[in-house]
Amino acid sequence: MNSKTLSYILRRIILAVITVWVVITVTFFVMHAVPGGPFVGEKAISEAAQKALEAKYGLDKPLFTQYVTYLKDIVTKFDFGPSLKQRGRTVIQIIGDGMKTSVRIGLIAAVIALILGVVMGSFAALKRNTIADRLIMVLTTAFVSMPSFIMGSLLLIIFAVKLKVLPANGATAGGMILPVITLSLSPMAYITRLTRSSMLDVLGQDYIRTAKAKGVPRLRIIFGHALKNSLLPVITYFGPMLAYIVTGSLVVEQIFAVPGIGRAYITSITGRDYPMIMGTTIILAALIVIMNLISDILYKIVDPRITLE
Amino acid sequence: MKKRLMAAVLASVLAVSSLAGCGNTGNTPAPETGDETSTTTEVQTQVSNPADEGLGAGSNAGADVTAETTEINVCFGSEPDTLDPALNSAVDGATFLVHLFQGLAKWEMNSSGVLEIVADAATELPAGVENADGTVTYTYTLRDGLKWSDGSDLTSWDFMYAWNRAASAALAADYGYMFEVINGYDDVADIDDDGNPLHPEAKLDVETPDAKTIVVTLKNDVTYWNELLAFPTYFPVKEDVVANEAWATDPSTYVCNGPYKIASWDHNSLIKLEKSENYIDANDISMGTINCYLSDDQNNMLTNFQNGSWQLIDDVPTNEIASIKSQYPTEFFNVGQLGTYYVCWNVNEDLLPAGSQYAKDENAKADIRRAIGLLFDRNYIVEEIAQGGQLPASSFVSMGLTDADGSQFYKNCGVSSDYDGYYDTSVNGYEDGFTAAVEALKVYYDYDEATGKFTNFPTLTYLYNTSEGHKAIGEYLQSVLAGVGITMNLENQEWATFLNTRKEGDYSIARNGWLADYNDPICFLDMWTTDSGNNDVQFGRGAHASVKGYSLDLTPYGVDVNVTDATWSETYDVLIKAIKSCTDKDSRYKMMHIAEDMLMSTGCITPLYFYTDMYMLDDSVKGFFSNPLGYKYFMYTTIK
Repeated sequence: MNSKTLSYILRRIILAVITVWVVITVTFFVMHAVPGGPFVGEKAISEAAQKALEAKYGLDKPLFTQYVTYLKDIVTKFDFGPSLKQRGRTVIQIIGDGMKTSVRIGLIAAVIALILGVVMGSFAALKRNTIADRLIMVLTTAFVSMPSFIMGSLLLIIFAVKLKVLPANGATAGGMILPVITLSLSPMAYITRLTRSSMLDVLGQDYIRTAKAKGVPRLRIIFGHALKNSLLPVITYFGPMLAYIVTGSLVVEQIFAVPGIGRAYITSITGRDYPMIMGTTIILAALIVIMNLISDILYKIVDPRITLE
Repeated sequence: MKKRLMAAVLASVLAVSSLAGCGNTGNTPAPETGDETSTTTEVQTQVSNPADEGLGAGSNAGADVTAETTEINVCFGSEPDTLDPALNSAVDGATFLVHLFQGLAKWEMNSSGVLEIVADAATELPAGVENADGTVTYTYTLRDGLKWSDGSDLTSWDFMYAWNRAASAALAADYGYMFEVINGYDDVADIDDDGNPLHPEAKLDVETPDAKTIVVTLKNDVTYWNELLAFPTYFPVKEDVVANEAWATDPSTYVCNGPYKIASWDHNSLIKLEKSENYIDANDISMGTINCYLSDDQNNMLTNFQNGSWQLIDDVPTNEIASIKSQYPTEFFNVGQLGTYYVCWNVNEDLLPAGSQYAKDENAKADIRRAIGLLFDRNYIVEEIAQGGQLPASSFVSMGLTDADGSQFYKNCGVSSDYDGYYDTSVNGYEDGFTAAVEALKVYYDYDEATGKFTNFPTLTYLYNTSEGHKAIGEYLQSVLAGVGITMNLENQEWATFLNTRKEGDYSIARNGWLADYNDPICFLDMWTTDSGNNDVQFGRGAHASVKGYSLDLTPYGVDVNVTDATWSETYDVLIKAIKSCTDKDSRYKMMHIAEDMLMSTGCITPLYFYTDMYMLDDSVKGFFSNPLGYKYFMYTTIK
C-alpha cells in the first residue's frame, strides 16, 4: 500500500468523522424541535414529577448547553447517556444488546446474498438463454422489486402460519431464519443480476477468447479469469447492500419481532427517548459510512488499475 | 466529494425522516398507562371466561400441585420500561409485578368465580379507626415467615421504606400521587422551582412499632384504600437492593418477594419467570415457569398464537377482530375495562358563523356541541367500526364505576329515568336525538330544507393519532357531519406529537380516551380542573378563564359555596376540592354527579364508547383470570 493510498484512507476517515458529526448535530436539533417529549403519555404526569425528571436528565438546561455536554460526553468518555424510557439502563447497554442480534442477522444475510448471488449469476450467464437462466431472471426480478415488508409478511404467512414449520418470533431459536431470508433475498437477486450481466460482458472480451483459443480448461477460464473481473460491480454494490440491510432491518425486525437495533430505533423515536435516538442514529450512520469506506478500499484491492483520489 | 456529501445528506435524511414519519405502532386506542379497579359485583358479570372451572383449587386449596415442570408461553407487551414497582405505570408492567411481588393485599378469584381483594402479606385487612381530626388509621400485621427471594426476612420496615420512596419527589414516579391519600404526602411530594424536594426529610404518616406491624394514617376515609394496597406501587422493596439504580434491569440484582423470580431476561425478547422457593404460599402456585415474550407487534402476536407457540396474547390487530371472533369463538375474550373513548372539543374554539348574533355566547356553543354529539350513532361505531365488544357510552364516567350504594354510577346521573346516562343510545333514542339535534342547530345556522343541510357551518378539523382504528372512527364522524352539510377535515399526527398538540390546546376537536386508576368517579372528574395536566379541553384557560357562565350551590352538602354566573375556576375547581375533602360518602357521590353534570352540560366531552380489554387465550389453559385493571394472572394456571 503506497503513501497515496494511505493519505486517501486518512482523508476518508476524517470526512467520515465530519459526516457523523453533521448527522449528530442535525439529528440533535431536529429531534428537540419535534413536538412531544419523553415524559408525555395519555395520562399526564404531575408537574412536579415532570420537573424533577427534567432536572434529573438535564433537559431543563438550554438546548445548546445540552448539545455541548452531549458531544463532550461522547468524545471524552464514550458515554451515550441513560435511556429515558427504560430506567436504569444505559444507551450503550441497550444498543449493545440490539447490535448483537442485528449484526448476526445482517452478516448472515449479507454472506448468503453474496454467495448465492454470485453463484446464481455466474450460472445464469454461463447457461444464457436456457430455461434455468430465464427462471433465475424472473425470480430475481420479483425479489428485487418486492419491498421487504411484503416479502416478510408473505414468508410469515406461508412458513409460520400455514405450514407452521418456522417460528414467527425472531427471539426464539429458529426465529432468525425468516428474517435472514427476508433480508437477503433482495440483495441476493440484485447481485445475481449484476454478476450475470458483468459475467456476460467479461465472457465476450478478447482475453477470454484468447484463453479459449490457447486451450485453457473451461473451469479455469471461468474461475481464473472471468469471475474475478466480473466481480467489480458486485463490490461497488457492497456498500449500498449493507445500507439496505441496515435500513431493511428496521422493517424486518418489526415484522418478526426481532430484538435488534432497528426495533430499538423505532421504539426510541416514537417514545422520544432522546439519548436512545441519538445513540442509534450515530451507530447506524457510522456503520454506513464505514461500510462505504471499506467497499471503496476493496475496490482498489480487486482492481489495481483504479487509483484512489 | 459529491458522493461523500450525498452520504452525509442521506444519513441525516434517514434520521430526520424516521423522526417525522413513524407511526405509533405500539399504541392502541386504549391509553397505555390506565389502571382501574372495580367492585366484585361488577366483575362477576364481566368475566365470561370458559376456563374458569377449577379455579378454587388453584387459588386457595393448594393441594394438587404436581405440575412443577409446567411452562406457559405468553405475550402481554413489549420490553417493560421498568420492573421497579414504584416506577411502573404500565398495565403490562403491573402484570409482571403481581407475579414478582406480594403486597399487603391482592386480587383473587374465589371459588365462585368472583374477583375480590383479599389480604396477602397482611394477616387480614381490618377496618380503619377514625381519629378526632377526621384522619383514619389502619393497623396491619404481617404474616409469619415472609421472605425475600434472596432468603432474607421481609419486615414491616420494608413496606414503610418502599412507600416513602415511591411517593418521594426525588424519585418522581408517574404514580407517586397514588400516595396522596396518606397523611403527610403533600410535604413528601413538594418541590421547588428547580425540581428539588422542598422537604427532603418529610415522611408519610406510616409507623412500624415492630418488625411485623404497620400503622398507616390516611387524610380521610378512602373507599378504594384496599385496592390501593393491591396496587403495584404499594409493593415493598428492599432498601439495600434499590440503592443500585439499575437493580430492576438484571435478574442477578432483582430481589422480590412474590410467587416468582426472574430467571432470565433477554432484553426485548424474553423474560422468564420461575417459581420462587422462598414465597410463603409456594405450594399454591401451579405454574412452574412463565415465558413472557416481549413484542408490541399485534400481527406478530397473532401469528404466534395461531401457530400455537404462545398460549396468551394481550392484544389483537383491530382490523382482524371480526375474523378472529368467528375463527376462535372460545379463545377470543372481551372483558370490561373501566374507561371511556371520547371526542373532546377545545372550549375556546369558535363554532358560530361570522356575524352571528350568538357570537361569544358560551351557552350557544355548549348547545351546538351537545347537539353535534347527538348526531353520532354509537351502536354503529361499536358494532361496525370498533368491533371489539365495546359498549355505547352515554356518560363520561365509565360503566363499572360504582355509586355510593354500589349501583352503577352512570345509571344514576338523573337526567331521565327512560335511559342510562345523559342521552339515549338505543336505536329509537338515537333517531329521536338526531332529529332534535338538527332542530337545535337550526337556531344558530342557516338550514336548507330542500337538501337537508346546513349552509353556513364553519369547517371543523378532527385531530387523531395515527392508527387505523382512530382513523376509521374519524371517517365515520366526518361522514355523519357531511350528511347535514358540516365539513370536518381529518388530521392525524404521530403519537407523541399528538399528545403535545392536544395538551397545548392547539386543536378544535380531538380523539381522546381515559382509563381510571381505581374504582372512584373522581379519577374521571379531577382531570378537568383548570390547572390539571390532563385538561385537554382547556377549561378555565385562555378566553374561557373569564367566561362567567357557571353556577354552583353546595350548601345542601354542608359546604359553604353558593355562586352564580361564576367562572370555571370559581365553580368546578372549588367543587372538586370539596369532593376531595368530603368525609360523608353520600354527599361526596352526589357532588361527583354535580361535577359530571357540569362537564356534560358544556358539550366539550362527547363520549363514544366504553373500553373493553381484548385478549386471546388458548383452550388448553385452565385457571387463568384477569382483573378489570387489565392485569393477567398466570400463577394458578395449568395446561391440559
